[in-house]
Amino acid sequence: MKLELGYINIHDIQFSNESKIENGVLYVDKAAVEALVLEDEHIKTVEVDIARPGESVRITPVKDVIEPRVKVSGGGGMFPGVISKVDTVGSGRTHVLKGSAVVTTGKIVGFQEGIIDMTGVGAQYTPFSKTVNLVVNCDPVDGIAPHEHEHAVRMVGLKVAVYLGELARNLTPDEIKTYETCSIKEGFEKYPGLPRVAYVQMLQSQGLLHDTYVYGVDAKKIIPTLISPTETMDGAILSGNCVSACDKNPTYNHLNNPVVEDLFAQHGKTLNFVGMIITNENVYLADKERSSNWTAQLCEYLSLDGAIVSQEGFGNPDTDLIMNCKKIEAKGIHTVIITDEYAGRDGSSQSLADADPAADAVVTGGNANELITLPKLDKVIGSLLPIDKIAGGFDKNMLEDGSIMVELQAITGATSELGCNCLSAR
Amino acid sequence: MAKIKVVQYINQFFAQIGGEEMADYKPELRQGPVGPGLAFNAAFGEDAEIVATVICGDSYYNENLDEAKATVVEMVKSCGADMFIAGPAFNAGRYGVACGSICEEVKNKLGMPVLTGMYVENPGADMYKNSVYIVETKNSAAGMRDAVKKMAPLALKLARGEKIGASAEEGYFPNGIRKNFFEKERGSKRAVDMLLKKLAGKPFTTEYPMPDFDRVAPNPAVKDITKATIALVTSGGIVPKGNPDHIEASSASKYGKYDIEGVMDLTADTYETAHGGYDPVYANADADRVLPVDVLREFEKEGKIGKLFRYFYTTVGNGTSVKNAKGFAAEYAIELKNAGVDAVILTST
Amino acid sequence: MKIQIITNNPLVAQKLSEEYPVHYEPRSYREVLVAVRDLIHQGYQLYSHPLSGSVKPNETPYKSVFLSQKPGKLDLDAVRIIENSIITCDKFAVKFPDPPPDMDRDFQLLDLTLLQGALSQITT
Repeated sequence: MKLELGYINIHDIQFSNESKIENGVLYVDKAAVEALVLEDEHIKTVEVDIARPGESVRITPVKDVIEPRVKVSGGGGMFPGVISKVDTVGSGRTHVLKGSAVVTTGKIVGFQEGIIDMTGVGAQYTPFSKTVNLVVNCDPVDGIAPHEHEHAVRMVGLKVAVYLGELARNLTPDEIKTYETCSIKEGFEKYPGLPRVAYVQMLQSQGLLHDTYVYGVDAKKIIPTLISPTETMDGAILSGNCVSACDKNPTYNHLNNPVVEDLFAQHGKTLNFVGMIITNENVYLADKERSSNWTAQLCEYLSLDGAIVSQEGFGNPDTDLIMNCKKIEAKGIHTVIITDEYAGRDGSSQSLADADPAADAVVTGGNANELITLPKLDKVIGSLLPIDKIAGGFDKNMLEDGSIMVELQAITGATSELGCNCLSAR
Repeated sequence: MAKIKVVQYINQFFAQIGGEEMADYKPELRQGPVGPGLAFNAAFGEDAEIVATVICGDSYYNENLDEAKATVVEMVKSCGADMFIAGPAFNAGRYGVACGSICEEVKNKLGMPVLTGMYVENPGADMYKNSVYIVETKNSAAGMRDAVKKMAPLALKLARGEKIGASAEEGYFPNGIRKNFFEKERGSKRAVDMLLKKLAGKPFTTEYPMPDFDRVAPNPAVKDITKATIALVTSGGIVPKGNPDHIEASSASKYGKYDIEGVMDLTADTYETAHGGYDPVYANADADRVLPVDVLREFEKEGKIGKLFRYFYTTVGNGTSVKNAKGFAAEYAIELKNAGVDAVILTST
Repeated sequence: MKIQIITNNPLVAQKLSEEYPVHYEPRSYREVLVAVRDLIHQGYQLYSHPLSGSVKPNETPYKSVFLSQKPGKLDLDAVRIIENSIITCDKFAVKFPDPPPDMDRDFQLLDLTLLQGALSQITT
C-alpha cells in the first residue's frame, strides 16, 4: 500500500466571507461553519473561534482535536465508516492542512477535562499549542443524554475538519511525504537482513466517553487485527474518548501517529516495518485475556523480531499493557512499551497499576500527577468553570493572581502514550 | 551574595595520609580544602568554597560507626557550613558506604543539604541512593574531573535550595522519586531507538524500571518431614512475657531468639506480642495463634515431624524496613542452617 | 455465567437489581475495592477490572465490579490486580467530598455505563 501525504502548510487562520486557502492562510467563512454544525439537531448553539500559537488564550474543556485532511485519490474518503463509506483507505493521495487543527470544546459531563494553553508554561506541555486552531464550542439541546451529546460533538468535529480539508483538494502541496508498506512476501524478499518489527496499538475501549472507532466499529467489539499503518492516516481510527486529557489519543494523534512515523523513518534502513496490530482495552477481564493472547499470536504469525506497544489511558489499561508485553515477550519477540505514570504528586508512589519483569524496556510520557501552575490568560474559549472539576484540577486551585494549579493530567496530550512529546520522567 | 560554605569528607587515601595501613585513622578536621577539595574549589569559582575538610579512615568509620558518626557530625557542625559533600568514592566499597552513611547522618542530624558520588557498583550506592543524592561517577579516581563536573553544580543547586531536576538530567542515581523533564527526542523515537538496541543485543536503559520483585525460587520439598527439624520464625512479634529485648512495636531495629526447650504451649502468662500493628488481644490470650508451638509439639509427639527446633526467631513486621528485615534474616538464616534445621515455618500476623 | 455485582452506586442498584444480584452499600470507592478483595481471597472469580474508567479513583466516588456468584479456586492474577488497584486508589485524594448534583449524576451514569459495557461482553 502506498500513500502520499501532500502537506499544505497553514500558518494562520482568519475569518472571511469565503472559505479558502491562499498563501498558507486558511480563510474560514464562520457562518458556513456554524450552519454546518447546527445541521445536527442535538446542537442548540455554536461559537467558532480562532486560537493561534503564542496568543494569551486557554481552550477548555477540550473534547477532541482533528487535523483537516482530504482524500484526493485512491479508494474511499476521510473517516471511513463514519463520515465516508466504509471503503478501504490508506492508498493514493491525501492532502493535509499541516499546522492547523479543529478543536471541539463544550461541557459534556460535569467532570470534563482538557486544557490547551496557547502560551505560557502550559503551552510547553500540549502539542496543540503549536497548531493554529479553529475552536468549535457547542452547547446541546436541553435534556440530551451524555452519550448522544458525545456523539453529536464528535461528529461536529469530524464534519468541520472534512469541510476545511475539502478546501485543499485541488491545491498543490508544499511538500509530499510518501509512505509505502509491502506485503509479507515482498518484505521478506526486499529486506532479508533486517529485523521484522510491528506496532501494536492499544485502543481505549472501556465504554461511554472512553471509546475508539475503527472504520466506524466500536473498538470494544473488535478482536485484535491487522491494519495498514497508512489507513490510520486517512482516519480509519478516530477518538470518541473524552476522559483523561493527558493520555488520551485525540483523533489528530491517530492521523499523525508518531510511532507509525518513526517506524516508517527506519523502514528499509535499520528495520522492516511489517505492519500494525490494533487491539483494545476492555473492562471485562476475559476480553483482556482473549485480546492479549490474540495479539501475541498475530505477532508470532508475522514472524516478528520486535514490537512496540503503545497504551491509551490510565489504570485498567495498565493490565492490558503488561499482559500484551508479557505474552509477546514470551514468544521470543523483543518488546518496548510506551506508557505514562501516576506516581503521585511527590513522585514517590508506584507508577503503574500493574508490572512484570518482562517489561524491561519502557518509554514513559512522564508523571501525570506532577503539579503545574498555569498563569492567568486573557481569554478563555469554552468555560473555565470545569477546571475545578477536571481530572487533575482540584478544589480551590485558583490562586489569588488568577493563575491555576493543576496536575499535568488536566492538559490535553501532555503525557501522550503514543510518544508525541519529549516529556519523560526518571 | 556571600560564598556558600562547604565542608567535605574524604578518607585517608584521598588525604594522602596512606593506604590500607592507615585505614584506622581517626576523624581529623582541617581548615580549607584537601586533595579533591582543590578541584571542587576550582569548579565552584566565586559561588562557593570548601572551608574545611574532615578526614577519616575507612576502617575506623565502619568499625566504630556510632562514635565516628557522632564525631564527624560535631566537626561539621562546628564549621557553620551551608553544604556537606562526601567523597567522591568511585569504586572504593568501604569509602562509599562511609560517604553514604555520613551524608545520611549529617542530613538527619544537622538538616544540611548533602551530596556524595560513587560508581554504580559501589555497595554504598544501593544502600544510600534513596536517602541522599549520589552522583554516578566512573570506577576509579581517574574519573575525578568528570565527577567534580557533575557534583559541583548539583551541590550549588542543593545549597541554594533550588529545584532539583530528574536524575537523568542532574546525574544522580534514580532515588525512587519520579521527576518529569524534557528529553531531546519524542517518546516514539525513543521507543524505536530502544527497540533497535534491544534487537541488536546492545545495552539500553529503560525509562521506568519495573518495581523490584525480589522473588525467591522455592527450595525443593523436604524429603521426609517425619525426620525433619522444623524451626518457627515470625514477624508477628511473639516474645516472652515482658519483651525482655525491647523489640519495638513498629519499625523494629532488632529481632529476638528465644529458647523453647520443654515449652509445650504458649500461654497468656508466659508469652505476648510486641507488635503494634494489630489488635493484640487474641495473640496475648494465646500466642500459639501466631506462633504455633502447641501444634508442632503435638506433631512432634505423633511423629508427624522429626522435631521442633530449640529456638524461635521473632521480630515485628509492622513498618519495619525491607533493609532491616533482610539484614535480620541474613543473620539467623545462617544460624538455622548451621544448626541443621531442615525447614522453617514463617508466620506473620 | 452467573455473576454478582458489588457497588456503591445507587444508580446501578436501581437499574440492574432485577437482572443481577446487586450488593449495594453506600461506602467509599476504596471500601468497594476492599470488599472485592475479600471476596477474591475467598475464591470468588473477578470478572471486571476494578479500575475501569479513566476517571481516577476518588475523583469519581463510584465503583462497580462484578464477580462470580460462587467461589472457586483462588485466582492469583486477580489477587495481584485487586492489590494493585487498592495501591493505585490510595494515590488519589478524595476530590469532591460533596459533588454538585449534576456532577454526581454524571459520575453515577458513567460508572453504570462502564459496567453495562463490560456486562454486554459476557459470552458464556
